[in-house]
Amino acid sequence: MTQFEKRLNIKTLKFSFTSYEMLLFLFYYSAFFLLALKKPSPEAFLWVLGFPLLLAICNMLFRQALHFDPVLISAVNFLSGLGILMISRFDLRLGTGQLFNYISGMILLFLMSHFVKIFRGLKRWSFMLGLLSLGLMALPILFGREINGAKAWINVLGIGFQPSEIVKIFYVIILASLLSEKRYFIAAFFLSLVLGLLLLQKDLGTALIYYAVTVIVLFATSGSVRLLIGAGLGLLVGSYGGYTLFKHVKKRFRIWIDPWADRDGAGYQIVQTLIAIANGGLWGTGLGLGNANVIPEHQTDFIFAVILNEFGVIFGVFVIFLYLIFLFRVLFIVQNAERKFIALLPLAAGSLIAIQAFVIIGGNIKLIPLTGVTLPFVSYGGSSMLSSMGLLGIIQGGLFIQQANLNHDISLYEMGENL
Amino acid sequence: MKMITRNARLIIACLSVMLLSLIFFGAFTWISFGNRWFSSSANTYIKKIQKNIIPGDIYDRNSNLLAHSNKQGVRIYHSDLETRQSMVHALGDSKAYVPYGAESFMSNYLYGMKDSYFDRLSAAFKGLGRKGNDIRLSLDSNLSKYIHTLFPKNQSGAVIVMNYQTGEILALQSYPDFDPENITQSNLMDPMKPFWNRATKWVSAPGSTFKLITYASALQNLQDTKSLRFECSGCLSLGDSNISDAKKAVHGNISLFDALKVSCNISFAQLALRLGDQALHNTAIKFGIGDYYLFSDLVVENSRYPSQNRTPKEIARTGIGQSSLLISPINMCMVASSIANEGVMMEPKLLLQARDSFGHSKFEFEPKVYKQSLSVDDAKFLSNAMKAVVETGTGTAAKVSGLEICGKTGSSEISGQKETNSWFVGFINQEEIPYALCVVVEDSGSGGTVAAPIAGSIFRYLNSHLKQ
Repeated sequence: MTQFEKRLNIKTLKFSFTSYEMLLFLFYYSAFFLLALKKPSPEAFLWVLGFPLLLAICNMLFRQALHFDPVLISAVNFLSGLGILMISRFDLRLGTGQLFNYISGMILLFLMSHFVKIFRGLKRWSFMLGLLSLGLMALPILFGREINGAKAWINVLGIGFQPSEIVKIFYVIILASLLSEKRYFIAAFFLSLVLGLLLLQKDLGTALIYYAVTVIVLFATSGSVRLLIGAGLGLLVGSYGGYTLFKHVKKRFRIWIDPWADRDGAGYQIVQTLIAIANGGLWGTGLGLGNANVIPEHQTDFIFAVILNEFGVIFGVFVIFLYLIFLFRVLFIVQNAERKFIALLPLAAGSLIAIQAFVIIGGNIKLIPLTGVTLPFVSYGGSSMLSSMGLLGIIQGGLFIQQANLNHDISLYEMGENL
Repeated sequence: MKMITRNARLIIACLSVMLLSLIFFGAFTWISFGNRWFSSSANTYIKKIQKNIIPGDIYDRNSNLLAHSNKQGVRIYHSDLETRQSMVHALGDSKAYVPYGAESFMSNYLYGMKDSYFDRLSAAFKGLGRKGNDIRLSLDSNLSKYIHTLFPKNQSGAVIVMNYQTGEILALQSYPDFDPENITQSNLMDPMKPFWNRATKWVSAPGSTFKLITYASALQNLQDTKSLRFECSGCLSLGDSNISDAKKAVHGNISLFDALKVSCNISFAQLALRLGDQALHNTAIKFGIGDYYLFSDLVVENSRYPSQNRTPKEIARTGIGQSSLLISPINMCMVASSIANEGVMMEPKLLLQARDSFGHSKFEFEPKVYKQSLSVDDAKFLSNAMKAVVETGTGTAAKVSGLEICGKTGSSEISGQKETNSWFVGFINQEEIPYALCVVVEDSGSGGTVAAPIAGSIFRYLNSHLKQ
């Protein structure tokens, strides 16, 4: 039996549904059932029968056959399912679209989880990958349309595509690779190129995230406090620059301080979000009973507000905890990593997801000014889903390597025993 | 590698703290402001549930019906026009032209949002239409109507009557007002803004009533306050302008106690200068000026102590209640209440009770201490000084035989106005009639001539009708 066959458990395929699958199934079955009661239609009942089953089977397959970490994959599936649920609740067609995004995402997840093992180091690849990233980022500036103050989208064969999302995966790999070889200045130079392109796109939220991830990995390798201070100052200077140079930054800042002053105009989005949170209260209005669709962008940037509205504050806390799970898995990888690259890469990927979740949830609840980024796994969008899945694949890849090392150590030990 | 692990641990700890801070910030803002967001007129969800839920009834403290929804879903208010008008700012109207009236601010009770799921299910099974909770407010409709008959027609201003032991509000009125059952185009176009609640949302210089705070500051900061004397020559020169007294009075050598009685500006201006801006400001803070009010039953505009241009002239003018002091009538009523209540300022409350359609109580009133403004001794001393004001001083028009009334008049100058704003704050210093009030009539004359007589009539009514 080859390694591959062993991995897929071909000889002894056991399908066992554990509590993870039960929970996923029950939750999404009840949810879609309620939605179908509210708006009965043949499609709605197809979803009731099909979707929870799809989710549970997917979870089981990835967990058992592909040996993914059970907690990690269940969290991802729950979040993705939540996104599909909240999107379908208002528009079933968009929900179907997000379902396809999810499926493509799962495929990418599988691919990326094995990529990390095969990856032996950039060297030949680095320059090409870097050029590819920069080229992709330049496309929206040249060919893109301006939406919400940012020129971050291009149209490929009728499908909207956001290069800065996909480039996140490349960037994280390049960054980890460069810094594991202590090539700080090239990394900083690459960051500035990427940031420059993002600024030209006027996608300041994503720029912030790239900046934060780079600072994090730089700190991980250098441990220098001066770096942190410098980075903090850089952030202040950047924020000030953004404020003075960009009109829409001024506007975002103004409505962050007091959205009620312009509650029907610029502040409408935040005001309606706060009202939606108040309407939901601790336990939510109930699925299908809220009216969070008055919030513009409720399928993308403000999906968390919809969740708080219909499921309540307590459920929102639970969702935030799911993002914490990814961080703790990353910690496990880093603590047991043997190569620097294997420690840095998942760290970068996990940090990126956590920072992105923080930035957008923070913007939703008015902790920080609003930025145009999405909630990983939950928000509607193909590029967003693919990038989040890719990053998660990197984390799972790191876990595979830990498992392989562990197995190797065990077999060495067993060999030693036999001698 | 070890270094990377250590740094990574630090990083992940920081990121976790950041994510957890979302929870704390979210919970904190939701708990503090959630009701305000919910009651905002921008909330379209209420309109959605209004279709399914009949809002509950509103009663006054004596169980008189103040608001009710009829079978067609139209909101009906008190049957008497003058009573309706006198309570419209406290109650609000069904279209929320008055923002944050009880109709809006307590809508989470009125629409049954606090009902348990069990109750909702039983109502659904019994086929009963859903009705929200009935609420009982601390307001007294008879008192409100009576006050309405006293207030000068075609004048603007506010009246608040509070129980200083418990914080319950018996009357909360703003003038001009309107009829909530008949909102006309002229109401909407009226430049006097009848929908605006002047009692809670209008802030201005309170004139000599602020001398109570200046006096309190002296009691708290100076050694010899009780025997302090000043020289009043009729005119105090400060830089490019002068301070003088009403009717160009000259008081000569006068004790601080008497200076409050006759409301001598020159004495209090000198006192303010002696105290200094810092001390005066700190005392003002003790009386709630500068606080960000987050009362459970009311939305009150924050009062502000002047922060710029603190020249001797401005400090002196602050001491006599002018300068750029911005204080609401309800804040001044709370000041009087704290002096009456041995220095303890109670939080103003409106809601006494909420009951669901099964008779279960959803809310029962409990008095809440807002802050300790003065020591018991200082409060007693100040009460005595205020008693002298009413017995023989500027506030004799508020005197009622047989009652111990304490008060302070105020006549604040407002640029652009012909007459001063007339203020009176005061209380009945008797345990069985524990009420404090504030009466303001804009652009009308001195505190002693316009506001004080109104206060006197209110005290007389409280004595005969609301003795405990």
